[in-house]
Amino acid sequence: MAQHEVEIEITKKGEVKVHIKGVKGKACLTYAKWLTELIGKVKDQQLTSEYYEPEIKARIDLEQNLKCED
Amino acid sequence: MSTVLVLTPVIISSWPAITAAVAAAAASLGIMVKESVQESVQNAQVNQNVENSVEVELSQSEVLAQTMVTNQEIVLTKGTIELRVKRDERGRCLVCAKGVGHSKAELKMAADEFSQKLTQCFVYDKIMHELKTKEFQVVNEEVMKDDSIRIHVRRWMD
Repeated sequence: MAQHEVEIEITKKGEVKVHIKGVKGKACLTYAKWLTELIGKVKDQQLTSEYYEPEIKARIDLEQNLKCED
Repeated sequence: MSTVLVLTPVIISSWPAITAAVAAAAASLGIMVKESVQESVQNAQVNQNVENSVEVELSQSEVLAQTMVTNQEIVLTKGTIELRVKRDERGRCLVCAKGVGHSKAELKMAADEFSQKLTQCFVYDKIMHELKTKEFQVVNEEVMKDDSIRIHVRRWMD
């Protein structure tokens, strides 16, 4: 099982900084899309080294998981 | 590490959800709710001629009109400053501050402080509700010295 972690900081002004951890490859973009739809507009986005690691089948499972729970 | 996102909140919600966020923001700032929901503003202020007033709009906000009666607003008091949260003609959320013996700068500061706290509380409620729905476990949650809120959540995937 993979552990997905999200660190969220809501600033005093209400701006939201999100750090998605443990999600390899494009699967992290599924989380990013979900959170953007939930909160508002993207002001800035940075892809880190883990994004470029192989993702296996994590993205397909995650998309199904997030859709099923809607 | 995977992705770091910075998001600007957009507040599109019904009046009851805004009301809940207003109550939370008022509680965290120690502000009293004078009248929980005022549907018709008829009580004229005695000292209106010496009062200053300032309006601050929540830039990315929209209150769904169908859940709101015309002129509905929430009135709060912070010392001698009165804060009113309402929906303007364009459907945006508006925080108005007024009070006798206060400069416009003071009133703007009070309105800004409350609108920021209102946005923070609204976003917090929305995120926490969604995280619970998606079965995330809250690992840690704390309010920092700069008044930001940090939430650390986790979920396990097959």
